[in-house]
Amino acid sequence: MSDEKIRLNTDWLCDCGGCHVALVDLHEKILQVLDSVEIQHCPVLTDVKDYPPARIGILTGSVRTEHDRHAALVMREKCEIIIAFGTCAVYGGLHGAGLAHSREEIMEHVYRRSPTTKTDTIPDAEVSELAKMVTPIDEVIDVDLYLPGCPPHPHFIFESLASLIEGREPRVTQDSVCGRCKRQMIKGDAREIRNTLDEVPDERFCFLSQGHICLGSATLDRCLAPCPNHGIACTGCAGPTMQILTEPYLDIRTEVSDRMARLTAIDEDIIKTYMEKTAKTQYAYAMATKMIGNKPTFLIKKWIADVEGQINE
Amino acid sequence: MNKTITIDPVTRIEGHAKILLECNEQGAVDEAFFIVNELRGFERILVGMEAHTLPQVTARICGVCPTAHHLASAKALDNAAGVEPPPAGKLLRELMYMGHMIHSHALSLFVLAGPDLVFGLGGEAATQNIVGMVEANPELTKKGLRVRSIGQKINEVIGGRGIHPVTAIAGGISARLSDDQHARVSALSTEAVTLVNELSPTIKDMLLKLLDDNPVLLDKLNLPSWYLGTVNGGKLNVYDGLLRAMDDTGAVRAEFEAGAYADYLVERAVRKSYAKEVYLDVDGAEHMYRVSTLARMNVADGMETPLAQKEFEEFRDRFGRPCHNAILQMYCKLVELVYACEKAHEIINHRDLRGETRVPASIKGTHGIGHVEAPRGVLIHDYKIDAEGIVRGANMIIATQQNTAAINASLKESGADLLAGGNDEQVLNGLEFVVRCYDPCLACSTHAVGQMELTVEVAHQGRVMRRLAREV
Repeated sequence: MSDEKIRLNTDWLCDCGGCHVALVDLHEKILQVLDSVEIQHCPVLTDVKDYPPARIGILTGSVRTEHDRHAALVMREKCEIIIAFGTCAVYGGLHGAGLAHSREEIMEHVYRRSPTTKTDTIPDAEVSELAKMVTPIDEVIDVDLYLPGCPPHPHFIFESLASLIEGREPRVTQDSVCGRCKRQMIKGDAREIRNTLDEVPDERFCFLSQGHICLGSATLDRCLAPCPNHGIACTGCAGPTMQILTEPYLDIRTEVSDRMARLTAIDEDIIKTYMEKTAKTQYAYAMATKMIGNKPTFLIKKWIADVEGQINE
Repeated sequence: MNKTITIDPVTRIEGHAKILLECNEQGAVDEAFFIVNELRGFERILVGMEAHTLPQVTARICGVCPTAHHLASAKALDNAAGVEPPPAGKLLRELMYMGHMIHSHALSLFVLAGPDLVFGLGGEAATQNIVGMVEANPELTKKGLRVRSIGQKINEVIGGRGIHPVTAIAGGISARLSDDQHARVSALSTEAVTLVNELSPTIKDMLLKLLDDNPVLLDKLNLPSWYLGTVNGGKLNVYDGLLRAMDDTGAVRAEFEAGAYADYLVERAVRKSYAKEVYLDVDGAEHMYRVSTLARMNVADGMETPLAQKEFEEFRDRFGRPCHNAILQMYCKLVELVYACEKAHEIINHRDLRGETRVPASIKGTHGIGHVEAPRGVLIHDYKIDAEGIVRGANMIIATQQNTAAINASLKESGADLLAGGNDEQVLNGLEFVVRCYDPCLACSTHAVGQMELTVEVAHQGRVMRRLAREV
């Protein structure tokens, strides 16, 4: 490694700020990173306002406003390597679910239907109009590396930065969350879909084996599987595995329902239908990406409309 | 013939914000707005989701206070199911929350506000950040960062993850503490209490010096208002208790369960911002109020833990009750940081901690409301759930939103003086400081970067007459 430090810029677009907190959460390891990296533009840690040229650029969040779009373009211009960092940057993230609704519908709900709101006012002066879509970063600029996760576990953040600093391939696998889950997959006899409030799942066995929907097998491991190892089924926050992204007819619900049907006495179609009915939960983090949205059998707007049509009645 | 001044800080956590001052011809400020220019619409997004996953989902609303949303959500589901978590479940949730409070307040004090304390106001922007602090006062900065790190680690052990924790569910906590985890948290909390004991006199001295050096601050930011905060048996509590409303003279005017929030809180949408203003509806009138650390210190009669109680008494002796000065939020955070460290230490040694962590909870066809004190103030989640367990309605009252009306009032107050007497830089600094004192969520970002990137436009009948920009 040369003595010259590698220059790094980071910026956040539309997100919750958690990915930047995750950088601080490298804890003691951040000093190791700081030995080799000069942090330039970085909203949490420095006061650099412009975007100096840099070797590495980390972008978190999705594109929602003109400001976001501009920041993404400038970062691309100034940084040799752009990392789409976190699930919002890679797949649009949770607020991507906003695409299922029109702007008018969101405004109506927030400003007119809230039980505590006594006014009949919709903000329309001085504020920018809401963007129609939540856009993952690579639909706006070219991205060199993807690090999904909500946020990615420090293990992966450190490895990705260390590999770039040392000029080597990152040592990460493309395994699913199951790879790190301590639960044992067995053939069970569950006859209906249950969740953690219907019954406390046995901590020794796979959620799917017990009839609980868990997205672990369809989700890329960028988290070290904290949820299933703490009694919570995977909600898919790091986005789908490569296998699902690259095969047009596979998606989250087909993968999970196929596997769960084999591990229980529940019919595959029943599981698939249930997952369509609860699509907003099952696709909460990844519905804004074309990698999922363009799949021929993926009809999320219809599924959501089917359920919410009933809700709005 | 009015003129309009717009300040557009290009920085945010919860989206963009700008400041708008509408002036008359004499330069007096008619109206001031702290404008939040983004709306993600979570109240709509949550509708249609499986309700039992809301504690995991709603944590994602904010990466700065995810544990607050996580727990407010789990408590709303408890309320929907009509259950109370067993003692161990409640203790673990509170322990997780103490970890989060330690992390959040330490970040705020040492990383975000730290530079003001170490260098004073108006220091060199180039060194006014955490890197400059490490050089100027390595001992303090390292210890401060270590406290933050300990808090986040405690949060992670109990919550499964530090940022966006997952273990709180309707009826309690989904995982028990192992022996290893218990030993680890025990060691961490012991260390936290020791560190914060060493740090608090230094921080307090720096704070008092900052006030001595800038007497105008105590004067200018003194805004009488009502306060809303949570107390349990009269003592300050951030996880559970009654919401206590105090008026601007210090009289307690109402105490209510979070479930009754709709009877006391009124939201008012405004045309110029996506953030709704919130007022307290008590005795037939609507009152401007504030939440956050200062509000909690005002409404509470005392603290649960000994060292924090000592700090609390010293604060009250010095500044009275109610204390209306927004700049003292920093001091209040220090008192709460001491409390959170002590409380974490107390909980980890509690004999009920290792028992059953959850009870069964059925939430189908119910309505539930839950609240916590987020680091920045009262946070309420309210869900309607259908017979299939799907969310049919969601309403949330967020901490920062409740301070909007007070921020606007302070901007109006300070804006007039600043415009009359100040040069460009003084106007920019002054208005920025007002906003930062209220510590809205976006202040996290604005402060860490030293100074906000600001543009001010003075418009006259639609034409820009004067442009102020901070060169960076």
